[in-house]
Amino acid sequence: MFLAILAGFLLAFAAPLLHRWLGKWVLVPMATLPFSIFVYLLTLTPAVLGGDKLGELHDWAPSLNINLHFFLDGLSLLFALLITGFGTLIMLYAGGYLKGHPLLGRFYLYLTLFMTAMLGLVLAGNIISIFVFWELTSISSYLLIGFNQDKEKSRNSALQALLVTGLGGLALMGGLILLGMAGGSYTLSELLERGDLVTNHALYLPALVLILLGAFTKSAQFPFHFWLPNAMEAPTPVSAYLHSATMVKAGVYLLARLTPVMGGTDEWQYTLMLVGGITTVLGALLATQHTDLKAILAYTTISALGLLVTMTGIGTAPAMEAMVVFLLAHALYKGTLFLVAGNVDHATGTRDLTQLTGLSGSMRYTAIAALLAGMSMAGLLPFFGFIGKELLYEATLEESPFRWMLFAVSFFSGMVFVAVAIALGFGVFWRRSTKPTPLQHPDKLLLYLPPVVLASAGLVFGLLPGFFVTPLLRRAAESMLGVEQVFELALWHGFNLVLGLSLLTMALGYVVYRYANRLLSYASRFNKLYLFGPANLYQLTLKGFLIGATKITATIQNGYLRSYIAAIVTAQISLVVLALWDDGPRLELGNRLHELSQLRLYEVVLLLMIVSALVFLFKSQSRLTSIAIMGIVGYSAALLYILFGAPDVAATQLLIETLTVVIFVLILHKLPTFKYLSHATERYKYVLISLTFGAVMTYVILIVKQYPLDSQLKAYYGQNSYLLAHGRNIVNVILVDFRAFDTLGEIVVLAVAAIGIMAMLKLRMQKGEKP
Amino acid sequence: MKTIILATAIRILIPLFIIFSVYTLFRGHNHPGGGFIGGLIGSIAFVFHTMTHGPQHTVDTFLKLNLYGYPRQPNQSRSLYLMRMMRVNVWRRRKMARHPDIKHHMVRIESVYIIATGLFLAATSGVFGLLSGQPFMHAYWSDFYIPVLGKPGTPILFDLGVYLLVIGVVLKITFVMSEE
Repeated sequence: MFLAILAGFLLAFAAPLLHRWLGKWVLVPMATLPFSIFVYLLTLTPAVLGGDKLGELHDWAPSLNINLHFFLDGLSLLFALLITGFGTLIMLYAGGYLKGHPLLGRFYLYLTLFMTAMLGLVLAGNIISIFVFWELTSISSYLLIGFNQDKEKSRNSALQALLVTGLGGLALMGGLILLGMAGGSYTLSELLERGDLVTNHALYLPALVLILLGAFTKSAQFPFHFWLPNAMEAPTPVSAYLHSATMVKAGVYLLARLTPVMGGTDEWQYTLMLVGGITTVLGALLATQHTDLKAILAYTTISALGLLVTMTGIGTAPAMEAMVVFLLAHALYKGTLFLVAGNVDHATGTRDLTQLTGLSGSMRYTAIAALLAGMSMAGLLPFFGFIGKELLYEATLEESPFRWMLFAVSFFSGMVFVAVAIALGFGVFWRRSTKPTPLQHPDKLLLYLPPVVLASAGLVFGLLPGFFVTPLLRRAAESMLGVEQVFELALWHGFNLVLGLSLLTMALGYVVYRYANRLLSYASRFNKLYLFGPANLYQLTLKGFLIGATKITATIQNGYLRSYIAAIVTAQISLVVLALWDDGPRLELGNRLHELSQLRLYEVVLLLMIVSALVFLFKSQSRLTSIAIMGIVGYSAALLYILFGAPDVAATQLLIETLTVVIFVLILHKLPTFKYLSHATERYKYVLISLTFGAVMTYVILIVKQYPLDSQLKAYYGQNSYLLAHGRNIVNVILVDFRAFDTLGEIVVLAVAAIGIMAMLKLRMQKGEKP
Repeated sequence: MKTIILATAIRILIPLFIIFSVYTLFRGHNHPGGGFIGGLIGSIAFVFHTMTHGPQHTVDTFLKLNLYGYPRQPNQSRSLYLMRMMRVNVWRRRKMARHPDIKHHMVRIESVYIIATGLFLAATSGVFGLLSGQPFMHAYWSDFYIPVLGKPGTPILFDLGVYLLVIGVVLKITFVMSEE
């Protein structure tokens, strides 16, 4: 499994190169990789279906209990097969869809990166690695949505998706860490057995809130649903793969994965049912308000995601069963319909439902795929979607206080799904029309093959549910419930209440389809409501952040060196004072006064020089004088160093002083005349800060001197500098040998500072401003 | 700033400054000195030159490489050509400068290149330790002894890196400040 992930990352970054070498044939290696992973996973299937849980462990940061741990059970296998199987088709489709696009290589890079990250997410067996892969999917999704980078709308949508899912990711990180603390482990397989411990822990509620936030943003649940329709700016392969079949289901996956750990409590159930229910209804309602094919599909996807979350929230065995079945069915038909919409867009140049009719003649295979997928979506009899819908109804009609609410929700969405299915599967292609929409190019093999394969999978799974799907889904449901499951999927359940309700759904769905135009005319009346919607709230928040950031930056970064230095010095003073205030050692000067008599004459002279120079500096009226006075202070300090036996420091100080003075002189005549611009009181403020700083540092040094110096370090360096490092100059040996790594860091800072100075001055000069 | 005394003196003093700075660099291991101080001494020479002659003149005098070369013959192998070019530029400079077929290239050494070289030297001096399984920056010393300079070893390389970096940084700052 580790190899599969690694290969994915490697191939992703090789994609642009491969595109350069292979041209359009780049799709061959790109599609081979997901396909081979798919086959590899299939070879593991018998073991998983037999009830095994496969694990694979690689050390990452074992000291932090973070490992690259892979874990394969029914649920992961279902998702992994979906990701790689669908991934193979998408890679082929993308080759046809973006044929001749100059950035195809980059597109494959992003797409493969995403696929690998998603695969890592579902295979990860450690909650920290889940988070890492989770964030990777967010980032690759950002890159994919913004793939048409020259369009402003794409860029905005990409940023929106990144910010919303990134916010959720941040929350998720906190939630997962809290979960790990509550459960005492970051390993999934251990956590799965500690459900009781976690749900009774004090940290359960905060962890739950944060994790749900992460899952809801990712899976576009209300009130974070608004990023998903905007994400449809991405090229269609991306919409089909990320935003209907895989990435948006990551949130659902996480919820399903954590059900045995965190599920079963009232908070869990009610939140999921409530949010899922609102999302379902809202998505379905909004789907009827659009005519853009991709927008309709996006809103029905939101609705379906809401249903999945609701089912997870109900948490009973039939609900879990319904959830996995519906998840698979939805991925199959919704993926197909997205690909079909992409085909139509590619061939006709429009995605507007009202302008598209009678395409069945010119796009035969696409039309067949659309019909099959539409029938599965509507829940017609031999299709897999039918089983899904039957199970959904059965699960909602279970004995529970909310049964009618839940049923109404799923019934409403089912109705809209039927209407959408008729419009897309039938209306666009098969409704007779005297004037079919003209095509810009005929149907292409690479474009119609993937949807046909996907749609027929929906039919085959429906006809033969017991063959491969049932055992897999059973194991998937089992990993959510934690107990052995026995359920058989069958097409025909006999004449019962659920079948009657299914028929009623279809009839009402047809009615919705017939009167869709009238529903559309209500769209304008909702406009006022949108003003209060979360999408608008997002815009306002973003604007507020920008304004706030500008103001804060203007206050903090005001461009005056003196205020920066004052801030740094004041911060240091307050830190030292804070540390010394309470339990710092007391200064005892009384018995040390006699040390003053040991002062040498030259020390006093130097001190007087420095002090008088400082007084003159404060009074000086020209820049040259102040620089010279600063030089006096610096050279006196250097002399002090020499007197106290630190020749290296003294030499450095001397040279630096010289350089400072010389460089100042170099630019002196270019500076404006020296004037005191600041008010006198402000200058006294800086004097006060300097005096305080000096006093504090003196105090600290006096206290340090009060205690005998523990000079083990000095002795160590003294002994070893010649023996180990072959140098007699201890200072230099420390700099270049014992602590060379520190020095390396310092010179890197120096280099960066030089580049920064260059950039700052050069950029200003290019703008023609006065420096 | 044109003062004839300083301008003339600095031209004579520059070699002294450079030699002294290199001496300080190598002496640093046993006596006061080292890469940082050496670099500062070396750069002060150039700063004074810039001060008296202007940055353009400093660059022209010290930071321009004159390279000589002729285009590659059609059937000449690339490696042979490279070796020829090296010989032309190293051993036969005088003769080549007057040769009619030879083209003359001027390469300006940006001070950023000096910074980069210094950083590279300092960082790679630690890799030797890494390669032989020791921690990063583990020092290696040779067994022989060079008069005046002392024992060569990886810390010397590190110090040389610091030296070059300091020179580069000071030069860059000086040039940027005085060019505007």
